[in-house]
Amino acid sequence: MRVALHGFLLLAVLAGNAQTGALWEAQQNRILALERAWNQAVQQKDAKAVEPLLDEELIYIDDDGTIMNKAHYLTSVRESAQHFQHIVNESTQVRFFGKSAVVIGIYREQGVKNGKPYILRDRFVDTWIDQNNAWMCVASQSTLIAH
Amino acid sequence: MRPTICALVIMCLVMVFLLAARTSAQDNNAGAAGSKVLALESAWNMAEEKADVRALDLIFDGSMIYIDEDGSLLTKAQFLSRVKLAGPQLQSLVTQTIAVRVYGEAAMVVGSYQAKGVERGKAYLRQGRFMDTWILKEGAWVCVVAQSTPLH
Repeated sequence: MRVALHGFLLLAVLAGNAQTGALWEAQQNRILALERAWNQAVQQKDAKAVEPLLDEELIYIDDDGTIMNKAHYLTSVRESAQHFQHIVNESTQVRFFGKSAVVIGIYREQGVKNGKPYILRDRFVDTWIDQNNAWMCVASQSTLIAH
Repeated sequence: MRPTICALVIMCLVMVFLLAARTSAQDNNAGAAGSKVLALESAWNMAEEKADVRALDLIFDGSMIYIDEDGSLLTKAQFLSRVKLAGPQLQSLVTQTIAVRVYGEAAMVVGSYQAKGVERGKAYLRQGRFMDTWILKEGAWVCVVAQSTPLH
């Protein structure tokens, strides 16, 4: 009887851990999907699609050091001078800290600017906050990868 | 003798800041949290100027990631070792806070920095933006991610 009870408790703990792991994985996939949607919207200069992903108090630091608020950033998406061909995130990792998540990765942008093709690689950090079961980006910073 | 006293003073200051950063349920509000992380930011600057890696070790979480001005990604150990090597070359590190945001048990500090020093015999002046992410862990604020972006 005792062996059976211990076995049952062990199974319950394992099932609980598996459920927690699955929940975190689901949250991670959700955030990475939002990151992909963001890139796609930027590529299409679709500021309306970017808008719901961002918190009203967003702080955005671009790779030239420019600091933007949400309105300023959305304008920059809409009025970008570049013609984007491909935007993708690479080597991303998501770290959870309670109700916040930090995504660290490499942002790779390929396009044409002033008639010339270019490829840009930035290291970025995006901070997302769970607000009533919706992840909103509150901060984003990029640094140009020099090498 | 002097560097030892200096290191001791910084260590004491960091300990005081860390004790102050220990949060009780009563003062767990955004304003208090913001002040605590700003105090830790000041302690960080002082410690980095003096290459005091023991003090910095207390400020950073074990999993801390630092993104440098050239886009390279450093672990806590790599960052501390770099501070140790670069310490004598750094003459001053001045930061200016632009914004502090607190979201429950996470906080962010955004600002600008100016670093002056000498590298390979040549004087340098670097300016940029930074964003540091702090989390409340076991009652104390620790930095988990820090990033620098040079001003172009």
